[in-house]
Amino acid sequence: MAVQGIWNGTIGFSLVAIPVRVVTAVVPGHVSFHLLHSKDYSRLERKMYCPADERMVTPEEIIRGYEVLPGKYIPLTDEELESVSPERSRTIEIIEFIDMKDVDPIYYDHPYYLVPSKGGEKAYQLLAEVMARTKKAGLAKFVLAEREHLVAITSKDGALALTTLHYSDEVLPDGEMSPAKGAAESGEVARMKKSIENMMKDFDPGKYADGRRKKIMDLLEAKVKEKALVDAPAMTEKEEEGPADLVAALEESMRKVKVKEGR
Amino acid sequence: MASGTIWKGIIHFGETDIPVKLHTAVREERIQFHLLHEPDLARLRQQLICALEKRPVSADEQSRGFEAGEGRYILLDPEELEQTVPESDRRIEVHEFVKTSRIDPHFLDRVYYLEPDVQAKGYAPLAEALKELDAAGICTWTMRKRSYFGALQASGKVLRLNTLRYADEVVSVRSLDLQSAPLTDKELAIGSELIEKLTAPFEPRKYENEHQRKLQAMIDKKARGENIVVLSPRRLKPTEPDNLLQVLEASLKKVA
Amino acid sequence: MSRTYVEIAGRSLPLSNLEKDLYPSYGFTKAAILEYYRRIAPFILPHLQGRALTLKRYPGGVEKEFFFEKRCPAHRPAWVSTAEVVHHNGEPMMMCVVSDLETLLWAGNLAALELHVPLSRAGSPQTPDSLVFDLDPGDGAGIPECTRVALILRDLLFQMGLASYVKTSGQKGLHVLVPLNSKDTTFDDTKTFSRAVAGIMERHYPDLVTSKMAKNERIGKVFINWSQNDASKTMICVYSLRAREKPFVSFPLEWKELEDLDGQGDRESLQVVHSEAVRRAEAKGDLFREVLVKEQKLPHL
Repeated sequence: MAVQGIWNGTIGFSLVAIPVRVVTAVVPGHVSFHLLHSKDYSRLERKMYCPADERMVTPEEIIRGYEVLPGKYIPLTDEELESVSPERSRTIEIIEFIDMKDVDPIYYDHPYYLVPSKGGEKAYQLLAEVMARTKKAGLAKFVLAEREHLVAITSKDGALALTTLHYSDEVLPDGEMSPAKGAAESGEVARMKKSIENMMKDFDPGKYADGRRKKIMDLLEAKVKEKALVDAPAMTEKEEEGPADLVAALEESMRKVKVKEGR
Repeated sequence: MASGTIWKGIIHFGETDIPVKLHTAVREERIQFHLLHEPDLARLRQQLICALEKRPVSADEQSRGFEAGEGRYILLDPEELEQTVPESDRRIEVHEFVKTSRIDPHFLDRVYYLEPDVQAKGYAPLAEALKELDAAGICTWTMRKRSYFGALQASGKVLRLNTLRYADEVVSVRSLDLQSAPLTDKELAIGSELIEKLTAPFEPRKYENEHQRKLQAMIDKKARGENIVVLSPRRLKPTEPDNLLQVLEASLKKVA
Repeated sequence: MSRTYVEIAGRSLPLSNLEKDLYPSYGFTKAAILEYYRRIAPFILPHLQGRALTLKRYPGGVEKEFFFEKRCPAHRPAWVSTAEVVHHNGEPMMMCVVSDLETLLWAGNLAALELHVPLSRAGSPQTPDSLVFDLDPGDGAGIPECTRVALILRDLLFQMGLASYVKTSGQKGLHVLVPLNSKDTTFDDTKTFSRAVAGIMERHYPDLVTSKMAKNERIGKVFINWSQNDASKTMICVYSLRAREKPFVSFPLEWKELEDLDGQGDRESLQVVHSEAVRRAEAKGDLFREVLVKEQKLPHL
């Protein structure tokens, strides 16, 4: 099954345009829990509540707003937000190529992969291959979820990766952080280098596991053995289906439609 | 000073102990939005609703469960969960050193600046040694109830701690299941030449967050009651695979 | 700026920039647009009548910027009818109401290529005259999928005792309308009903239909947008031009046309351009007249 994208559009460099999707390159590993109602162990769902109408609202009734004065909001539609940088909301245009080694890793924010959409496979592979050969990365700007990102497009094991970068004004200065005294004493540095070299290995991240996560999983496993499981009540009515009569009538009508048309 | 101290720890390896203070290195600024109810523009509040009873549930009626099967949960009470919180001994334990270039950038998460605390006489030599060897210390530590995995690096005279993602959090290229398409030598040669021609030094200061500025201007305009001009997003027409060589040649001509 | 005056029903209407090409890749000037609306007026006017109009203006043509204008422009001629509508921020606002040829042409002269109206009349803003299913094919889906969904939807509604009518959106999709024309139907009713229908379609045809807004849910499927059944929403009026590369029209179709096309057809095969719209409307009359008069009641509410 194809990976679902969080964005789809086109990546362009010079006159070449490649249809792509952006997919995530990292998945959070923490153990996730659900909030349950203590009384009956049914799931709690996060819903938006309108205090003025005193009711829950559906996603279609929700609009984003900017607070101009306390309690006073300017509503903004998706179309309006998208039109702030219309040239960048569906296009990742590579402005220039750079040497990735010139980029201080402090600028790295979040990694993603690009995967080619239909028809883009060849140009995609070409860009990945020539960036690997020339050891270059593309620098581009694009808008994801109403935020404009400066991004580096890199070649990684035959794929194109996209890493969002921080803007230079977001990186805080590190001045006054280093020791007050002048240069490090050379004998000290030499000793330090020696002990580092003694401990030199290849990068093998698989050796390190999240200790906290392991403890939680151990605890859960112990509880399963104790058979300390609870069951959520069966839902009699599915969410947002509509009045039971209507749903039953629709089901019956749908059955007839399918029979009649042999669908 | 960049920001206040967020945590204090001690870098430890072999015979070396260096007390340091962590400071945030990156601060993001962005325009905040709230969710409103479209008809009346009332600010919406999030509530937790019981799926069965369809009513809001207060904090003291909530439990935390791990889904062990469809509709089956293992309950964990806060005390049990507290037991899993690792003890912090303030030690940033360096297990080994690696060449900086060997660290896959996809592992890099957040950066902290390290400030030498009192009695941190090993700080300057360590920074200098790491820089000369182009090395990073792979370390683990416990901070604010979480276990961290990170890389200790030097930038100039300053030590940094870059938290790393755990290996099972990083998606491999293989899982993308990419299909390969044949490329000709000519396409590759022209593509490489094109990239070389379009290469410039990385100057992050050249790029500002124009979008943030334009967004603020749009909000101000709307606040004054002016009409907002809605522009459609532009999509580029994808290059046809059969035209790739031609387009590359045209691109090269354009930059030449 | 060139300016021409025309006299209609004793009213003088100034027209400007008639030679301006508003569909440059097709070649369709403002004069041609006004001529289209003049010819289609007998068919479109009953559907605009009594409804608060949202103007979608393209002063620089379809390839340039556009803006929505809800407030009726202050510089309107005295004979343009207006209705007071309560805007969603609670403030009253004057909106244009098109009830005659001269107002229609005046709007066209403002480069309001697209005419959008709510499902209710200005006098009874909370009472929808019809219920709509806005069928919007996602990436990877097109006319064949949309046609199939529309036909299943028609059959399902028929089984529920409801007649429905279909038009092209003039963009990628189709609009299926269920006339109601009953004073006691509310938007809450149409929303509940359309949402339940969209849900059942999605459950029975999960590979073809989605009722979810999220764009990535729509890939390869037809999104049944039921949320248009809301007092605050507007829809493209039947017979209105669309601002596409060609002057396509949101045009009523006969169900038979969709049956003939079911299982085949390319992306543009259902599109109706201005000239064909005029020709077909003049030959067949208003296929959407029932939408304005047929009284139906939503069952099981």
